[in-house]
Amino acid sequence: MDVLDQLGAVREGKLSRRRFIKELTAAGVAVTMVPAGARRAMAASEDQATFFTWGGYDIPELFQPYQAKNGELPNFSIFGGSEEALTKMRGGFVVDVSHPCNQALPRWVATGLFQPIETARLSNWADVMPEIVALPGNDAGSGNVWMAPFDWGQTSVTYRTDIFELEGEESWDMLWDQRYGGRLGSLSAGADAWWCGAIKAGVDFADIATEEAFEKIAAVMREQRPLIRVYTDDTTTLEQALASGELVAAMTWNSSASLLQAEGVPVKFAKPKEGALTWVCGAVIHKDAPNLDRAYDVIDSLLSVETGQFMINDYGYGHSNAKSFEAFDEATLQGLGLSKNPLEILQAGHFQVPQTQEWETRMNETFEQIKAGF
Amino acid sequence: MVDTPHPNRSAEAGAPMPRTSRLTALLHRSEALRGYLLMAPTLLIMTLGIAIPFLILVAMSTWTRDGFGFDTTPTINNYLRVWTEPVFGALMTRSFWISGVATVATVILCYPMAYYVAFHVHRRKMLWIILMTLPFWTSYLLRVFAWKVILGYEGVINSGLMSLGFIEQPLEFLLYSQEAVIITLAHAWAAFAILPIYVSLEKIDRSLLEAATDLGDGPVRRFLRVTLPLSMPGVIAASFLIFIPTTGDYITPALLGGPDGAMIGNFIQLQFGPVNNWPMGATLAIVLMFWITAVALAFLFLTRALRERLT
Repeated sequence: MDVLDQLGAVREGKLSRRRFIKELTAAGVAVTMVPAGARRAMAASEDQATFFTWGGYDIPELFQPYQAKNGELPNFSIFGGSEEALTKMRGGFVVDVSHPCNQALPRWVATGLFQPIETARLSNWADVMPEIVALPGNDAGSGNVWMAPFDWGQTSVTYRTDIFELEGEESWDMLWDQRYGGRLGSLSAGADAWWCGAIKAGVDFADIATEEAFEKIAAVMREQRPLIRVYTDDTTTLEQALASGELVAAMTWNSSASLLQAEGVPVKFAKPKEGALTWVCGAVIHKDAPNLDRAYDVIDSLLSVETGQFMINDYGYGHSNAKSFEAFDEATLQGLGLSKNPLEILQAGHFQVPQTQEWETRMNETFEQIKAGF
Repeated sequence: MVDTPHPNRSAEAGAPMPRTSRLTALLHRSEALRGYLLMAPTLLIMTLGIAIPFLILVAMSTWTRDGFGFDTTPTINNYLRVWTEPVFGALMTRSFWISGVATVATVILCYPMAYYVAFHVHRRKMLWIILMTLPFWTSYLLRVFAWKVILGYEGVINSGLMSLGFIEQPLEFLLYSQEAVIITLAHAWAAFAILPIYVSLEKIDRSLLEAATDLGDGPVRRFLRVTLPLSMPGVIAASFLIFIPTTGDYITPALLGGPDGAMIGNFIQLQFGPVNNWPMGATLAIVLMFWITAVALAFLFLTRALRERLT
């Protein structure tokens, strides 16, 4: 298990436009089909770097500097959940760059599958916000890091303002609202859902590994399960269902709300009174990366200001490059639920804390059983 | 062998034979050896592709997960867990239920189609058969997605019924339910029912039907006493062809099943993915295989008994 966690990552990933592709992704099928299709379509040459990432990050907008330098886009391979990604790489799948999140980072590093990133080789490194570099387990010694932070954001409730009748403040209780049983949706990865359950159950993340916390969270997840219409890794499924009114509220990342709002759907990304779940994701380099120089180009491209502005403006995510925020005024950022100071947002919510492999496994096992109805 | 026909023939005739042709002579004499040689490519693939993976699966099912690795001390704990923890039994039962209903539905829906083509179409039969298998020309995944569009909240059925005024609210049970999985499976596997049933119906000697009519059977009795029993091999083949793969189906319940429509295939996938318990996944795969075999044998036995009573 491992890895899954990254819910965060997951969240981000979703993109919206390529819904079809995403759906495939979510289905897990995409893992095989999308990369094959996309590669052929792009006439990907063998010597471009391969970026193994969440669905939604395989778009040209994020790789303009890379394309300018290397003539083509990197190759993409897509995963639906980060532990699925780690399992695949442990099974021998070699890529250049992958995309975990802070909660999974120590476990990813512990597998020995990744090499430290020499920050001196990244031209945009000087502008990266130091607050989100200093994550637990990220220091690789001599100024190098394991993961170059790229995007950060929240997991919260996206709800239809015209259908969902709010009782009092926005809260995680919205996803446990009996009135809307059968019209609520959730991300299916325990890496998101379980942590949101912890917030709902009032468990402090510092205690999330205790037996008592485990029981409490399992109890709220069981309570929620009959109310959920669909658990999915695919944000497009949730977005479409919210757009049609099939769902009135769902657990999502920032981008779902941003994309739906851009399409004129009356939705809001809640600021739950208990606090949202927050995370930071970034790029790591495989230890056997076949195109190391281009792996650095991929990361540099992700960290660039152009990419950052797209991430902020179109996806509603935070970016790691401080300069990306300069094009936006405070009011715009506030409207997006972002800030030039990431800690302001990350610490206002509940920031995910790395856990042991045993915990991760047990959590996933329990959560899957709960989803199956037990 | 092709270019040494003469020594063969002379060996057969008992004439003295050159040393080099001993092998061919032996081949010629031993029917069993010839048979094995003919089967060699198949046997090789079966061994490499089925027997070895199966042995690996059996071995892995006796291991225990240990962090990212395995503790390879043999144990039957995984099997005990499958036996004692209700979630596995429940998913297994649900898989058999869904797949069983889908199989029955498919066979019942496809039998009349096959019957029509076999008995009432006299020209361009092949065209009819091709037309009926047309859905198979697209990928399985696309067919499942197509059903998602048809059954969806704003899908073809719901918007059609709503615009006709039959319903006010979209029917929610259509998608993310066991019904959705059954409907999709029944459509997606239709060709596997039509073809074997058609073949067995086509083979029926028409004079038997005439004889039945001459002896006083009406159309219904004639069908029940002659046509149906004689087409049973096709029905049985179709049932197996559909039931066995659909029980472990993954993608249909994953996309259309919702929380209550998940099947054992989804749970096995989870063991190899997020839950990261490969030995448990291997155990579930083997237990599923065992139950499918048991159900298939029971089915075979029942239909045989039934046929004996009918004929």
